[in-house]
Amino acid sequence: MPTKRILLWVTIGSLGTIMVMRSSNWLIPSLSIMAILGSVFYLASQMEHYRTQLNDLNRLRAAYDQLDQQAKLIIRTDVELHRIQEELDRRLASLMSLHQLGQQLQVSLHPDEVFSKLDPAIVTNFGFSRALLGTCTSLGTIEWRSLIGMTPIQAETLKQHLIESKLLKQILTNPAPAALQTAALTDPAQQKLLALFDVPFAVVAGIIPHTGPAGCLLFGRPGAGTANAKIEEELVAILVNQLATAVENSALYEEAWMAQQALEQKVQQRTHELAQANSELMSLNKAKSDFVSAVSHELRTPLAAIKGYAALLRTGQFGPLAAPQLERITKVEKHADLLTQLINNLLDIARIESGRVVMERRAIPLDEFLSTVQDMVRPQLEAKQIHYTTDADGVKALVGDPQHLQRVLVNLLSNAIKYTPEHGSVQVGIRREGPSVLLSVRDTGCGIASEELPKLFQEFYRSSDPINQQVRGTGLGLALVKRIVEAHQGHIAVHSEKNKGSTFTVTLPAE
Amino acid sequence: MSETISATIGWSAHTDAARAGNDAAERALERLSPLTPQLAIVFGSSWFDQPSLLGGIRSVLGDIPLVGESTAGEITPEGPASHSCLVVLIASNTLRWSIGRGEHVDERPREAGQQAAYACLQGSRGIQRIGFLLFGDGLVTGYADVVRGIQEVLGTSSLIAGGMAGDDLRFSQTYQYMNDRVLSRSVVGALVGGVGKLGVGSEHGFAPISKPRHITRARANVLLELDHRPAASVYEEYFGADLVHQLQSQGLGRQGIAYPLGIQCEGTDRWLLRNVVSFQEDGSLFCSGEVLEGTWLQLMIGSRELALEAAHRAAQQAIRSLNHIACVLVFDSVIRRRLLGAQQAAAEIARLRQTIGPSVPLAGCYTYGEQAPLDITSVYGRTAVQTGSVLVVALGT
Repeated sequence: MPTKRILLWVTIGSLGTIMVMRSSNWLIPSLSIMAILGSVFYLASQMEHYRTQLNDLNRLRAAYDQLDQQAKLIIRTDVELHRIQEELDRRLASLMSLHQLGQQLQVSLHPDEVFSKLDPAIVTNFGFSRALLGTCTSLGTIEWRSLIGMTPIQAETLKQHLIESKLLKQILTNPAPAALQTAALTDPAQQKLLALFDVPFAVVAGIIPHTGPAGCLLFGRPGAGTANAKIEEELVAILVNQLATAVENSALYEEAWMAQQALEQKVQQRTHELAQANSELMSLNKAKSDFVSAVSHELRTPLAAIKGYAALLRTGQFGPLAAPQLERITKVEKHADLLTQLINNLLDIARIESGRVVMERRAIPLDEFLSTVQDMVRPQLEAKQIHYTTDADGVKALVGDPQHLQRVLVNLLSNAIKYTPEHGSVQVGIRREGPSVLLSVRDTGCGIASEELPKLFQEFYRSSDPINQQVRGTGLGLALVKRIVEAHQGHIAVHSEKNKGSTFTVTLPAE
Repeated sequence: MSETISATIGWSAHTDAARAGNDAAERALERLSPLTPQLAIVFGSSWFDQPSLLGGIRSVLGDIPLVGESTAGEITPEGPASHSCLVVLIASNTLRWSIGRGEHVDERPREAGQQAAYACLQGSRGIQRIGFLLFGDGLVTGYADVVRGIQEVLGTSSLIAGGMAGDDLRFSQTYQYMNDRVLSRSVVGALVGGVGKLGVGSEHGFAPISKPRHITRARANVLLELDHRPAASVYEEYFGADLVHQLQSQGLGRQGIAYPLGIQCEGTDRWLLRNVVSFQEDGSLFCSGEVLEGTWLQLMIGSRELALEAAHRAAQQAIRSLNHIACVLVFDSVIRRRLLGAQQAAAEIARLRQTIGPSVPLAGCYTYGEQAPLDITSVYGRTAVQTGSVLVVALGT
């Protein structure tokens, strides 16, 4: 629009000028001059307006450039912030990796296993892309256990260089992590190391545990090192220490494991020897039982003849016997009876031990059982005027072999009566306790010395007590009782106090 | 017969390559049972011995068609991972897959694209095409030509989406997988056809920070001059001479990828991102994608908040046209992973899951570049190479 106005005023001005030039009338020239002056003034005002706009535009451009300058500052700050953030993220990832690795290493049972735990995730989290970790049995040997981002051929070449250039020795004698950057290296061996590792930046470190194999670690990445290589070295130092501790732990574990294995082997050997000895003992025991059984059988026949002939002599068939003769014949019969009992007991023990006796298992009415037993020992009870009581405590029956259990109770009662003084008391108690029935025989006899209790159930064992010497016995009664009870899957125990009496308790399965 | 598409994911972080592949494939197959997979997509860490990894997978899956690539980190349903292997198995009674490869993408990108597309086309004659999944070498930059090659075979309206393989920022070698072959400098494609839908969403979350600079000289991926000055000198203005010198001498490292160059798509608020791959002797910058002379460029800056929001928007775009989502593949730029950091990278995946639904199988990888359609880029073509973006590909009906 302003352009059109300018054109209009310029046109009017031009027409005015032409008219002035062509006309002699003063009015027209005056008007024309006024028009020209007006155009000039308008043009001047427009020029001013455009100058202002141009200034504004320049100011805007300057502001725009300033904003762009600020953008540059923002970008550089952002670059720095990102760098720091990335560095922090990487350190955090490294620390998390260290934590995870620590957990994995805890279960490493062998030092070699520790050296093979390095995986790509750990290497990446530490900000590297290549890694080599190996065990060193000497300053000149290395065996790679973990290869990350390297081929076995590359690793082998690197190994040769480490050994030949003595860099390995240098790393193992100065194991602290060291950052190597191509730009800053002067040592040709180290330069070649980076070239073979195909990275411009690497961190190398030795692993020197107190026990277990030493090691060598190399980390590398294609990009340059960070601004602070010291921190890289510190992070790798933590990793190296963790690896060294793990190697020590696994070496100790291995040592402990080997010791345990040796111990276990010894225990097995001893167990085997004991089993062998036990087997031999069992064979010997069987041989003994067989021998006793055979001998007993052989003894019974002549013993029967002795008893028979003694009985015949007593009848006087071969002439009347004088009193001393009768007395001697009676003694022969008595000793023969004792010997018969001894042989029978021996035979029974041998039979039970050899498993030739099968224990019957049936319910035995208790009243009948106790009554039968009481009848059998009644003469002895009466002879010593012993007060005899029974207490069944609601138990109605026993389960087992009636004949053999009778022998058990008779034996125990006979002993009780034998060792109880006249007018003493003997009590039979029966009670239920869980899945068992407890049968006890308590007396008020002389009791048994505590040191003799463990031997009480051995064959032919007889107490050294003077009272015992006066009481006749074979030394087989309690041994037989024990065998019978055990053959019923039961057991027998004794509690005794000197001069106060004894209690024998037989525990039998209730069902 | 109802249209069904099923997908399952198996993941393993076993340190042994064969075992990791085997475990991941077994887990995916077990979850898919009793269905038979039609296609396996594999994302494997570049740390693994690649033939062993593929051997482990094939020992379980047999001859099932397989495509995939090495990564700069894996995206599992639980969060970001590294040094692991992901196997995605897809089964469907309505979809048809055909796969193909193109080699020497660094030397002949257009032919490589044509080769891969043609091989796929051979296996899907007469079937309606849905889209083309692309896996390529992330160290190669000529993807504009690769896409042209693919479009010459499949047509310019074909949907092409995918990610470029990574190698955990070592920038040494990336791998592409096809059946039992481990490739490099190649592209592998999977053409999906039949009845189904492929939803795609792509966002980056970077914002311009510098004033616009005019691209006064450029040739393909090489940015020669900005405002009639050598491009490197302008770059230097922002980062400082020391840092640029450091980047030139040591390779770009982190900064090179943390601040991409943004090219504003005309008449929109969308930006195509280009990464500076290397500095040339003549002061030019070699970029991750094509730059066109005469357009305007700005330096971009990212923030964690913007990056998370971008992930949400990309997921929304991908699923908006789908009634049922069978699975979601995520190709997320490694730049974004580094920008987000470990914690926020996990938050990004959680955000994606929240948007697509927690029960939808999700898997993917961190890439060196993303290939996504941009419907507003008439200048750069329909499918554009992106850097620094998150690409969400949703498969469903």
